[in-house]
Amino acid sequence: MNKILRTLIPFDIVKGLSITGKHFAKVFFSANRRKVPFHITSEYPEVPAKVQPRYRGRLTLLKDEQGEIKCVCCLACEKICPTQVITIEKGKKEGRKMPFPVRYDFEMERCIFCEFCVESCGFDSIILNHQFELAAYNREDFSIGMEGLGQNMYEPSPVGKFSVADD
Amino acid sequence: MFKNEEMEINLGPQHPSTHGVLRVKLRLDGETITHCRPMIGYLHRGVEKICENQTFFQGQVWTDRMDYCSAVANNLGWAEANEKLFGITVPRRAQYIRTMLNEFNRLASHLIWLATHALDIGAMTVFLYAFREREDILDMNEAFCGSRLTTTAFRIGGLREDLPPGFEKLVKKFLAKFPDCIAEYENLLNENRIWKKRTIGVAKLSAEDAIALGVTGPVLRAAGVPYDIRKAFPYAAYAEMNFDVPTRTEADTYARYLVRMDEMRQSARIIQQCMDGMPEGPVMAKLPKILKAEVNEVYHATEAPKGEIGYYMVGEKGSGNPYRFHVRAPGFINLQALPKMAEGSLIADIVAAIGTLDIVLGEIDR
Ligand code: SF4
Ligand code: SF4
Repeated sequence: MNKILRTLIPFDIVKGLSITGKHFAKVFFSANRRKVPFHITSEYPEVPAKVQPRYRGRLTLLKDEQGEIKCVCCLACEKICPTQVITIEKGKKEGRKMPFPVRYDFEMERCIFCEFCVESCGFDSIILNHQFELAAYNREDFSIGMEGLGQNMYEPSPVGKFSVADD
Repeated sequence: MFKNEEMEINLGPQHPSTHGVLRVKLRLDGETITHCRPMIGYLHRGVEKICENQTFFQGQVWTDRMDYCSAVANNLGWAEANEKLFGITVPRRAQYIRTMLNEFNRLASHLIWLATHALDIGAMTVFLYAFREREDILDMNEAFCGSRLTTTAFRIGGLREDLPPGFEKLVKKFLAKFPDCIAEYENLLNENRIWKKRTIGVAKLSAEDAIALGVTGPVLRAAGVPYDIRKAFPYAAYAEMNFDVPTRTEADTYARYLVRMDEMRQSARIIQQCMDGMPEGPVMAKLPKILKAEVNEVYHATEAPKGEIGYYMVGEKGSGNPYRFHVRAPGFINLQALPKMAEGSLIADIVAAIGTLDIVLGEIDR
């Protein structure tokens, strides 16, 4: 008898629908979606996404207070990079005792954002910044050097420059 | 040989329910599968060979990219295999943090399994709810190591950094709401008649067959064999944890579902214990500057969410690279059971059989 009743009346479906309905009502009856904690999805391009402090983004060369590049060409980062995307050329600069990188090339398309380079650098001269919007239309835009047209090693990638919204 | 009425079809490699680029060659007699062979290799990248050409330290990034749904578990096995090779003892705090992150990863992996498996069989709602919880876990990954999926979480000898400030709050918040979430999934599925019709008695694999084929993980435990490496050969901090190994005896898709749901509860329990008993201290052991191996070989197996993941490494004297690097991937071995499960059943059930094995092709093809 019980079994027949259960077959005839779809309790299971009612149970499932009540869960869906509960969540629907929770969000639907909260007037301003941005203020209530119930919604899960974020309105990403309008509301900028937040990243955690340790987020691993694009490789960036740091400068010290005088505006000098901190890197001293010890080549530790070049050696440890698992995908060999960093190429450094040692050079001299007038008025500077330490070696100076005349070339610091970074092929972003092959970088796997592992942060081994930052970890190996004993001079704190590179970081991975918090950028994640790194898409570009051309392959050349991923080859980042000391002086670049679109982007270079000191500044963050121009966000939005390559995006469709800007056209 | 073909009989007159038989027909051969390919499932995949771009079929959404094959969880990646798996191609299954099926021979059908009407709707019944008479012959089934999985064809793999579409995602082969040569991870093992790449690792042999790189230093021990660099190998970790490739383990992330094998089973991308459970990267932390892969990292853990890799780190412990290296520590075994070099004879390094890891500080206790690091062990606890590793254990905790590994269990979070098990939750994430089981949640993505639940989501996609239910979606394949036709329950869309669970997909959305499971991804909601997985998002919290990925956020914790990001807070700890800066990346959500390809974590590169550990280092040989410990961790790179301690837990970030505020991590405990995230864990507490998650643990407070997670039991309700599991109850929600179970309310949606456990009694659902469509779910039951499509899973009970489907894709059976007996304990003898499972052992003969080398199948591990929840698939083996659902056949009644209580084999879990966390209990059998404890590693990290599992020896100090108090947890059960859920098993079932039905050995069908529904039993595997129940085993995985119970495992999620146990994982939450282990995380709670890790949080309560977290010791203080350093998180990194003292290491020599350059890791140079002796002639030595190790095999280290850990319990990944999908089964036993083992790393086999051979060191060469004076070399910083492994001479041989081999991975025993759980998905690769578990996939062997697919013909056994699917032959003789209906074609609609092969989707359930692939889903219940919980395979990730990045790991199978490596
Ligand atoms: S993050 Fe990793 S892959 Fe990228 S440049 Fe640094 S070491 Fe190389
Ligand atoms: S490790 Fe640091 S100092 Fe050395 S070359 Fe790289 S960026 Fe420059």
